[in-house]
Order: sequence, then structure tokens, then C-alpha cells
Amino acid sequence: MHPRTALCAASTLALIAGAAAAQTTVTIATVNNGDMIRMQGLADNFTEQHPDIELEWVTLEENVLRQRVTQDVATQGGQFDVMTIGTYEVPIWGEQGWLTPLEGMPEGWNPEDFLPAIASGLTVDGTLYAAPFYGESSMVMYRTDLMEEAGLEMPEAPTWDFIGEAAAAMTDKDNEIYGICLRGKPGWGENMAFLTAMSNSFGARWFDENWQPQFDTDAWAQTLDTYLELVTNYGPPGAASNGFNENLALFQQGKCGMWIDATVAASFVTNPDESQVADSVGFALAPDNGLGKRGNWLWAWSLAIPSGTDAEDAAKEFIAWATGQAYTELVAENEGWANVPPGTRTSLYENEEYLSAAPFAERTLESINAADPQNPTVDPVPYTGVQFVAIPEFQGLGTAVGQVMSAALAGQTTAEEALAQAQTIATREMERAGYID
Amino acid sequence: MATQHSRAAARFMIAPSVILLLAWMLIPLGMTLWFSFLRYNLLMPGANPFVGFENYAYFLSDPTFITSLINTLLLVGGVLIITVVGGIGLAVLLDQPMWGTGIVRIMVISPFFVMPTVSALVWKNMFMNPVNGLFAYVAEVLGVPAFDFLTQAPLASIIGIVSWQWLPFATLILLTAMQSLDSEQLEAAEMDGASALSRFWYIKLPHLARAITVVVLIQTIFLLSIFAEILVTTNGGPGVASTNLTYLVYAESLLRFDVGTGSAGGVVAIILANIVAIFLMRMIGKNLDA
Amino acid sequence: MARAVSNRRMAINTGVAWVLAILIFFPILWTILTSFKTEATAIADPPVFLAFDWTLENYETVQERSNYFRHFMNSVVISVGSTLIGLLIAIPAAWAMAFVPGRQTKNVLMWMLSTKMLPPVGVLVPLYLIFRDYGLLDTRIGLVIVLTLINLPIIVWMLYTYFREIPVDILEAARMDGAGLSSEVLYILTPMAVPGIASTLLLNIILAWNEAFWTLNLTAANAAPLTAFIASYSSPEGLFYAKLSAASTMAIAPILVMGWFSQRQLVRGLTFGAVK
Repeated sequence: MHPRTALCAASTLALIAGAAAAQTTVTIATVNNGDMIRMQGLADNFTEQHPDIELEWVTLEENVLRQRVTQDVATQGGQFDVMTIGTYEVPIWGEQGWLTPLEGMPEGWNPEDFLPAIASGLTVDGTLYAAPFYGESSMVMYRTDLMEEAGLEMPEAPTWDFIGEAAAAMTDKDNEIYGICLRGKPGWGENMAFLTAMSNSFGARWFDENWQPQFDTDAWAQTLDTYLELVTNYGPPGAASNGFNENLALFQQGKCGMWIDATVAASFVTNPDESQVADSVGFALAPDNGLGKRGNWLWAWSLAIPSGTDAEDAAKEFIAWATGQAYTELVAENEGWANVPPGTRTSLYENEEYLSAAPFAERTLESINAADPQNPTVDPVPYTGVQFVAIPEFQGLGTAVGQVMSAALAGQTTAEEALAQAQTIATREMERAGYID
Repeated sequence: MATQHSRAAARFMIAPSVILLLAWMLIPLGMTLWFSFLRYNLLMPGANPFVGFENYAYFLSDPTFITSLINTLLLVGGVLIITVVGGIGLAVLLDQPMWGTGIVRIMVISPFFVMPTVSALVWKNMFMNPVNGLFAYVAEVLGVPAFDFLTQAPLASIIGIVSWQWLPFATLILLTAMQSLDSEQLEAAEMDGASALSRFWYIKLPHLARAITVVVLIQTIFLLSIFAEILVTTNGGPGVASTNLTYLVYAESLLRFDVGTGSAGGVVAIILANIVAIFLMRMIGKNLDA
Repeated sequence: MARAVSNRRMAINTGVAWVLAILIFFPILWTILTSFKTEATAIADPPVFLAFDWTLENYETVQERSNYFRHFMNSVVISVGSTLIGLLIAIPAAWAMAFVPGRQTKNVLMWMLSTKMLPPVGVLVPLYLIFRDYGLLDTRIGLVIVLTLINLPIIVWMLYTYFREIPVDILEAARMDGAGLSSEVLYILTPMAVPGIASTLLLNIILAWNEAFWTLNLTAANAAPLTAFIASYSSPEGLFYAKLSAASTMAIAPILVMGWFSQRQLVRGLTFGAVK
């Protein structure tokens, strides 16, 4: 009984203390990703500096969060003062006038320091609408020990052929070692993020310049065949329901030979407290096919203020704190340099302490710079976005297509049927939305 | 027998419930009905023009619609069969004298207290996960390849999870009914030399008929709108293998934020649910009047 | 007269029942056990049952991250509040239906039940807009209203079926003795109705406690109950079985314990008129 009583007492005290000092409440909706949870843990630092601001956290799983904040911002529900959203939402919401421009921010925030590739994705007509909390691209993470055992050497910039060869050589299913772990969980931000980025390197695209869906092309067939072959032959069981988090857990347990996913995972897989394979992880650029585009994406989880909030100034103070350089130093001090939120500021990649603590820093920066949201594909397209199409319809469409791809991975349909279905779904949706007749 | 006066009083007493439920039905339902005739997407603000039955046409022509209908029926039917058959079995068993009845009963009813989200999360991760789940370990011990429940048999797995949650409820109601059975009747039958099986078939089962209809009715009401379990475990997939009608409406209105189509889907779902309801009410009405 | 049962049969019954009961209970037990493991032990192969170093660290982590106490209080207020209000509205209605049945009574009852078949997802957006306009988003009172309404049909029906079994003769005898309506209710009906009301109360607290759609979608921080609390542990980065188990245990423990202690009361009225 003792811990329980103490726990209640502590919370009651916290409530009383909170009520006594607070004047403005900032409600923050955020994802339950590691970096955000760390931020929540360090938030005392902010409230010490700003005793007149109280922070309320609403931490939700990604899909739930996305639905909640979209619903709230679109209906002007006014539930949140700060929202965690990504590079997909910011341009669309900014254009709709749903976000408060980040102007008149506190002194010393230094937005010029943000990486240009990231900042451009958060800017609409020259106005910044969200501040990047961490940025990511994708890259190959692999087990150096297994690679050595297999007698192979990972090039800095591998091709898909090499990945296939290495996956075959590393797989040892009897010992639960799977050559490659890839996303299979349906969702536009899950398997479709990976597949869309991958398809770019095969010369595929979602739509041609007249918004005609392109799933009936050879390039998509090649993409899907390669993907299915890799995951079915060398992937873990249950791959069709594995997303980022599931694969991270598998990799940390030493069950994956290679894993192509977000660069932000690098600090988790190299953290000896969490990862059993921390000292034998190598990094390489996302694979390509010699067509001039790599299969890597670009994403930044960012903090934005919905328009119509009643705590705009306090929200700006918070965003300036969470995305400022002082926060980076705060994390470094408490958790070590390797754990600071990556991929947002140029200055971080010029910091010697960071570069020596984070063996993945250089590769991360290279990957981020290699992605080009304005020009994502081999053939021209009418949209921006590397692993997504920045139109409002994409959220639903991408998820529906993701379901089809996931069914193909589960063996319920063939690749051919899946692509035909994807083509039908996309045509149906685009016709309804009035892009095509 | 009831006087004019008591009738008036009765109406007055029923009124609050009826008015509240009427408001609850009409206001959101009225809005849903209205929205279902508009082109209304939350992500594309602007005029929401009246488009007649376009949303209905779009929703009903979706190939997923038929699949989701079948899935809904399979889900409801599957869970009903498992819980009713399992519930009868457990009720018969728990009705027998044994040591530790209290603890056994507590263990059996416990799943009913578990939130759907929690039970879905626990089953998905700690049992059905093909790498780290307990079932995978059991498979490993038996020397068979791990079965990937939520990918290979998504709907069946969800039926299993939901049945686990509702089995206690069915068991409880059936057990209570069983205990009201006159024991002298059973004893007489036993003395006449009726076997255990025929005692069950000719005496116990008919006695349970009413309780079974009650279980079917109540569970159907809840099972038609199963949602959390699907959202947590499979997101309706792979493909649309575990998408039921509720989930399809969710996908339209909260993933695509197409409120128009979502509302049309909602109206369709309400109509279908009411057809089921009328069917059930007939059945139960007959049984309850007796 | 109890039948004599041989020890052998008793032993077989006991054995079978215990095995089944443990199987049914096992997922809950396993969750509770896992919540005291470290993340590494939680996925150990082969799985460990009891012989591990018990730790409270998961509970500490969860408590550090979330304000459990507030979520817990919200759950209590919302589930108990909506149930009490529901009972207040439903008791007169059920009473009237049971003792002064009219031609339409059965239809009204069936209609009430059919409102429960409204798929919540279909009406979320309209309701969200209404809640926004009346400032009910993220308030306990808003959730109490919604949960009262969605559970009202079940409450009315459960009470109705229970009240119906109270023999009318008793009432008539009381009326002959000159008892008025109020004393009729107070002295005769109430004591007889208590088990039914108690069990309705318990069942509805359980249903309201576990309701996860409206409670998640209409709240943010202030009124979020335990269902929202669990949503932040559903799929975090890295290993999470132990933390998930701890959060799950914290979310279900109160209602589980309440259910265990009150199961007798719960069962007594949980007949829905099925027992004759």
C-alpha cells in the first residue's frame, strides 16, 4: 500500500502547487515517440524559466494523435495550443489558414539556423508555420558483425541488388535472425512512406503531370516485386503488421540484419541501455537503382500553433524553448550528446562534441540533404513531398493503398492484383476529388 | 386495472428518458442525415454544396462495402456462437458442486472488466505477436512455425479476442438462469434413468432458452459497433480483411475526413443495424412475453 | 435437498473448472506479472513466470510520464456520475413501464434499445461541433452527458426486467391497506428493488469505465480518463511490453477489484428477465 499512498499524495501536491502558480495553460498534443517523451521529462526546465505558464501534455500514439489534432484544427475545436505535426500537414494547414505564423518569436531563437531542406518544407509563401523538433530522412542501418560473418562489405551507397544479396546472406531463420526488416503496417505514414520513397528510386511516381494514377506502370511493378521478395524471403514473420516501432524493437533485440528506416532510429539502436546490438551497428545511405534518386524520405516532426488559440504568446515561448539551441544543450547535459533531437539545425552538425558522440550524424545529414521534396521523382510530377503527396486527399488515399500493399505482403493477393486495386482506388478517389474526369 | 391517474403519472415518469433519448437520436442523427447530402470534407473548407445522393452512391459502390458487411456479420455471428456455446458449457460446469467456487467464478468473469483497448493491446503484443508473443513461444516448443495470427487470420483473431471479453458475460447470465432451475425436476429425471446428456438436452437447455436470447440481444447491440479492437490490432487490414462497417465509416469520416461520405455510411449503418434490431426484437419479444 | 456427490466427481469438476478458469484468467495474470519485469525479462525466451527480479520501475516510469491520479479521478467521476444520473432518470421510467404497462410500453422499450445501435463513429463530427459550440469539449460534464445517454437504454431495460419480477400482489395488498404512491415506493418497492438497482449500477459503472471511443475523442487533457491514458502507451518506440503492462494494470485494476468485491451483487440482478 505504501507506494500507492505516496503516489496519490505526490499527485495531489503537484496539483495544488500547479494551481497556485499557473496563469496561462498551454495544452500540447504530441506523439509518444522517444524524443517527445524526453522533452516532457525535461519540461520542468521550461516551467522554472516561465513560472506563469503551466504545461498540459496530451501524449498519444501517432495515428490517434493525427486524427485528434486534424479533427480539432479543422473544426476549430480549440483543444490544443501546440500541436505536433509533420511536413505533410504543415503546408496544407498553413495554406488553409489553420496555423499561426511563427513571427514575433522570442529573441535568440535563431530560425536561420534550421537546415534549409527541413525549413523549406515548413514554409508556405515565405512564412514559417511550424518549428522542426526533430528531422529525419531514412537510411540503411545494419549489423556490422553479421555483415562480416556473411563475408560482405556494405558500400556507403548500396544498390537494391546489393541489399537483396546481403539480406539472403545474413538470414538465419533457425536463430531468429532475419536479413532485412521493413515496414509492412498499413498507413500512409507507415508502409507507404517506405514504399513511396522506395518507388522513387525505381523511377515510379504516384501521379503523372495530369494527376493520372500510375500504379499500372512497370516501375511500380518492379518496386513492389522487389519489396515483396525481400520481406517474404528474408523478413521476420508478421512483417505485414510491423511499423517503425515494431521494427525498432526487433532490431534492438538483434533480430534484424538490416533495417531501412528513419535516421532518428540511429540514436536508439546505438544506445547500450536499450539496444542489445549497440556496438555493432553501421549506417549507409538508402539504396538506389542507378536512376539518380535514392529511396530515402524527408520528414520533420514539428511544433505548430493552431490559429485561434487563447495562449499564443505562451505557446510561442514554449516552441522557442523546445526547438531552441539551449534545449539541445539541456538534453546533452542530461542524456548525452547522442540523444539530442537530430536533423533540425545546421549548428548541430558543426558541433564537434555531437559529431564525436553520434557516429550516425554525418550519414543523417547526408541523407537529409539527398532528399528533394520539390523534385522527388525521376519523371516530373505535379506534387511535392518525397514519401507523400502534399494534397489533402493523400491521408485517406495513402492509407487505403497501404492496406492493399499490406494485403499483398500478407499473401492475400498477388502483387499484380494489389497494384490493380491500388490503381482503382486512386482513380476513384481522384475522380471524386475532381482532379481527373 | 391501472387508473387514468396512474397512467398519467406513468407517462410523466417515462417522459424524461424518452425525451432525452429522442434528443440524443434526433440531434446528431439529424445532423448526420443533413451532412450525408453535402459535399463536406473537413480538410477542404469552403462551401459545402448540396449533392443529393452522391455520397450514398460513392459509399455503396465502394467494393469494401460488401466485404465490410460480410465481415460485420461474421464478427457478430462468430462471437455469438463462441460465447453462447462456451457460456453454456461453463455454466453447466460451474453449476456443479466443486471446491473453490468463489475463486473460479472470479477468475472466469474477470475478462469482462478489462477495457477493450487494453485487452486488444495485450492480446496483440504479448500473445499473438509472431516473434515475441507467448503463442510464438508455444509454437517453438511444439516445433511448428509461429503462426502470424493478425496477418494470416485477422478476422478470426479479432473474433477470438472479442469472445474472450464477452464469454464471462454470457456465462454469468446463463449460470444465473441455470441456478434457478428446479432441482427436483432434475432429480426426478435422474431417478427415471435419464442420462446426463438427455437431462441436459431436454431439461436444462430449454430452461436456458430465454437467457440465451437475452445474451444474443445484448451482445449483438455491442458487437455491431466493435471498433477499438480492430483499430488497435489490425487497422482493418491486411487489405480490408478485418474491416467491419463501423470501421469503414471511421475510415471515411476520420481518416479521410470526408464527413459527407462518412455520414452517408453512418446512415446506412444505422438502417442496417435497425433491420437487425427489428429481427432481434421480434425474436426476443416473443421469448420475453412468455 | 442437496444431492450427494461423490468425492471423485467433485474432484473432477474442480479440476476441470480450475484449469478452464486459469486459462481464461491467464492473459490478465500474465499482464500483471509482466508489469513487474524489466523490459528485457518481459520478452525473454523462454518466458519467465515468477522467478525474476521483481521491480517497480515500470510503475515509476509510467507515473513520471502521466498524471495517473488525474486520469483515475476523471474515470471515477465520469463513470459514477453518468451512472447515478442515468439511474435517476431511468428508475421512474422503468418503474412506470413495469407496473403500469401500456400498449406501447414494449415498443418504447425496444425503440430505446435500438438507439444503442447508432454507430458512434457516424455521429462523431456532428457531436464534436455541438460540443465545441457549447464549450463541452474536454469537460467532465460533457462526457457524463454522453455516457449517460448511451447507457440509458441498458439501464432502463435492466431495471424494467428486474422490476417486472416484483410480484404485483404485494403492491395491491399495500394499496388495500391504504398506502399512498410514495409510501408504496418507499417501503415496499425500494427494498425489493435494491438488488436490481445495485447490479444495474455496477454493470453501468463497468461499461462507462471501459468506454473508449467518446472518452478518447471528446477529451484532451483536463477530462481525459484512463482510456486516454492507455492510448499513450499503445505503441511507443523500442521495447515496451513491461511499461504497457504496468499502464494496463493501472488502468484496469480499480474496476477489476471493484468487480471482484461486488460480483455477488452484480450477478444477482444481472438476469435481464431471463430467469423465471
